[in-house]
Amino acid sequence: MSKSKNGVVSTLIVILSLLFLSPIYIMLVNSFKTRSELYENVLALPGSFSFEYYSGAMQKMNFLTVFGNSLYVTIATVIFVIVLASMTAWMLVRRDNVMSKIIFFSFVATMLIPFQTLMMPLMQVMDWIRTYLHLPMLNTHEGLIFMNIGFHAGIAVFLYHGFIKSIPIALEEAAVLDGCSTFGVFWRIVFPLLTSITVTVAILDVIASWNDYLLPSLVLSDKGLRTIQLSTFYFFGEFTIVWNQAMAGLTLTIIPVVIFYAFAQKYIIKGIAAGAVK
Amino acid sequence: MKKKWAFVLLSVMLVVLSACGSNGNNKTTNEGATNGGNQGEKQAKITLFQSKVEIAESLENLVKKYKDETGNEVEVWGSAGDSYITQLQTKLAANEGPTIFSVQPGAEAEKFASYYHDMSNESYAKYISPNMALEHDGKVVGVPIGVEGFGLVYNKALYDPATVKDTAGLVSALEKFKADGVNGLSLSQEAYFLIGHIINTPFALQEDPIAFVEQVNKGEVKLSEVPAFQEFAKVLEAIRANSINPMEVTYDTQMGDLATGKTAIVHQGNWSYGMLADYDEMEVGMAPLPILGNDKLAVDIPAGWVINNKASEEQITAANAFLEWLYTSETGKNTIVNDFGFIPAVTTIEPTGLDPLSQQVFDATQAGNTIPWALNYFPQGIIVNDLAPLTSEFFLNASMTPEQYLEKLSEVWVKAAK
Amino acid sequence: MNKNSKLWYCIFTMPLYLIFLIVVVIPFLIGIYYSFINWDGIPSNPKVFVGFDNYATLFQDERFLTSAWNTIKFTVFALISVNLLGLIFALIVTSGFKSSNLARTLLFMPNLIGGLILGYIWRFIFTDGFKQIGATTGIDSIFFNWLIDPNYALFALVIVFTWQMAGYTMVIYIAGIQGISDEVMEAAKVDGANLWYRMTKIVFPLLMPSFTICLFLTLSGAFKIYDVNLSLTNGGPIHSTELFAMNIFNEIFGYGNYGLGQAKAIVFFVIVALVTLTQVVITKRREVQM
Repeated sequence: MSKSKNGVVSTLIVILSLLFLSPIYIMLVNSFKTRSELYENVLALPGSFSFEYYSGAMQKMNFLTVFGNSLYVTIATVIFVIVLASMTAWMLVRRDNVMSKIIFFSFVATMLIPFQTLMMPLMQVMDWIRTYLHLPMLNTHEGLIFMNIGFHAGIAVFLYHGFIKSIPIALEEAAVLDGCSTFGVFWRIVFPLLTSITVTVAILDVIASWNDYLLPSLVLSDKGLRTIQLSTFYFFGEFTIVWNQAMAGLTLTIIPVVIFYAFAQKYIIKGIAAGAVK
Repeated sequence: MKKKWAFVLLSVMLVVLSACGSNGNNKTTNEGATNGGNQGEKQAKITLFQSKVEIAESLENLVKKYKDETGNEVEVWGSAGDSYITQLQTKLAANEGPTIFSVQPGAEAEKFASYYHDMSNESYAKYISPNMALEHDGKVVGVPIGVEGFGLVYNKALYDPATVKDTAGLVSALEKFKADGVNGLSLSQEAYFLIGHIINTPFALQEDPIAFVEQVNKGEVKLSEVPAFQEFAKVLEAIRANSINPMEVTYDTQMGDLATGKTAIVHQGNWSYGMLADYDEMEVGMAPLPILGNDKLAVDIPAGWVINNKASEEQITAANAFLEWLYTSETGKNTIVNDFGFIPAVTTIEPTGLDPLSQQVFDATQAGNTIPWALNYFPQGIIVNDLAPLTSEFFLNASMTPEQYLEKLSEVWVKAAK
Repeated sequence: MNKNSKLWYCIFTMPLYLIFLIVVVIPFLIGIYYSFINWDGIPSNPKVFVGFDNYATLFQDERFLTSAWNTIKFTVFALISVNLLGLIFALIVTSGFKSSNLARTLLFMPNLIGGLILGYIWRFIFTDGFKQIGATTGIDSIFFNWLIDPNYALFALVIVFTWQMAGYTMVIYIAGIQGISDEVMEAAKVDGANLWYRMTKIVFPLLMPSFTICLFLTLSGAFKIYDVNLSLTNGGPIHSTELFAMNIFNEIFGYGNYGLGQAKAIVFFVIVALVTLTQVVITKRREVQM
């Protein structure tokens, strides 16, 4: 492919991608407008770029606290999910007996259940655990993390399961012959080979955890525990939405995830490249 | 061998995390339950959960002041209006309910009745204006947050209600507006603003609105044969023929159009005055919907605050103290009127500085010149789930006649009431 | 050795499975029990056992049946558009153009936005934005408010869902495409195979595992859709976009018919489980192992 052709097509691709992102443009542009400007013209650039809606939004949302809360819950969830799901999926693939099939099937089947139908019984189960086992499952971050793991398990196991199949078992057998324990085989041989899918699972799980509204809204009650999504409720009134502030607040909730993604996807490339070289 | 330790470490982490969590939780509940010690009268921390997002910020400021003045803590929970009931219900079911929460009188209040603390003998119960308390089984269970009223909110420069005394008058006024290029009467697409409020009038004009609703529930009366409803359907038809389709209008644009003179009248309540603040000053008033010559505004309490009887003794005491303070202290009273913008429904407050719409509603209440909110007694969920879709169908489908609308209305009503 | 390996099996799988049982399976089973009762959701109010009454009722519930049909329509359209777009994006991004990395970041971004928020933004676009574009450009046969037209509202939902999920499937297809060794592609080119041939005879079959995954993910995502449904259309106009999860939610919390809502959920779950199971079996059979 000639260099200039490459250049032209490249630019075209970028332009199309930006067009694809136009809703985000609209969101950004309107976070700087006053309410009557919004009413006048939705698509135009604002008269003046004032950050007052951002600072107002940050104050209302109690930004630093909720950001920290979301960060804690998300990171803890993702770490547990990655570790536990990869372990589980590996064992399910390597010992493909009836039990494994049943377990895998149950993970996958429950991915189809809408959360709304589990809400009430789940809360009651958690309440029961709290009362009889004295483990604080409700109104704590740890309880939320516990439940997140349960809900994100299905898709993580599903993704890992598919990819582990492509790892030749010969490598593991060789390691066992060399005297490696089961743990050793998994952590030293298999897990490093799973890097690209791990990063994928991490990205998807970070998004799911960070953006979750419904479950945290039911589990967490104390103000100080709120996650960043819960704090955006301020802008969504019963009948009216203060659009300019809402957009500012929403932009704030998105920025961390975007940064994480931009950073993380470099590792997909690295992981994929390393795998290809092998 | 190393990896075995890693696994052990992992499980220990899990246990430690839950232990940490439990420590943290214990601390909060301990703090709450401690009575004696600090400031002599320090009470348990209580939680407040209510659905009006518009007052959320003012409420937070209020509880801050409460803490400064009395040293007692109230924590405000928040939710977006739609999910309020879901969260409330789920939390109550998991024994995580708030100490004080708000409920709408009628079906909603009935549903949660088993959670209400009996307020009949509390100190503040006597401040409640006559007939305004939330009652159940003859006991006072909730204090009204205020009164609200709705009707035709109009631009004084474009409309004079004195000239329109009945449905026919309203219809011809709308036709004239259309001829003049002004949007006559604007409804908005949100369920309550589309149909929930405006349909209240024909119900409220019946002899006994509650009994009437019961009859409609059972299908014992056909709405197409009731005069108030026939006129009501004519009004809807006039709106359809002469004004912008309500399905294209949101609350924001509805009020924006009123403020900029594009619309003459909107069917709204005194709360909507706050929406005009972003625009230039204008003169607005509230007029009754003149079906069957009605000349009264619809006024009632939109919600009441109740105390959760599953809360601890100390929390209930603290909740009572908070409510007492709310209605008697200068700070509390000022906040209700000025920050919340509520028209008070308690005798301890003399409202001053109300906005024009709220003032009109207050005057009407004092003079006893009002019709009630029959809509509080509609079957649960009917406005959002059934009335709104049916009415939007009416506005989107020009071939549906008013009679057909009323017939369908009766059908849909009976189904929803099951 | 046998006892030891059984132990390892448990150590590796049980922690996650236990959590999963407590958080998902047990509430689900409780939910099944609840589908046989009449209850309004408040613990202090009575639960009345009614056996299969709820199930009988739901099959006569017109609105539920309409909602099921709409959900099926939506899912089919969404399945096609999301995967098509995702695949195209993945192919573009792996074709070696200079801007590939940037494009991949940009195209994935919509997926970073939570469902509720996404719906609100697009609602804004369809209501105010479209109206404005229609007014200025005059092409108001396309640029009107889709959300108040019962025929177009469902398509609006498809568009928004596609916008959100295309990047998601793109990522998975990228991983799949990257997994196709270059040697195979080079060999094909050397043998004189053109683009179309390479695509259909080599790339697609080798992408089957990715297809399995993506089809399954879009199926389950589309069918469970709630957040975007709520904030974009709230089921309107006239219930034309009241998809399945919303119908159940309204039944439980709007009308207070807890048992009936649960019964609906079970029924639909069974149907969808069957459909996706079939899909997975079919596509897995066509997977080519390397």
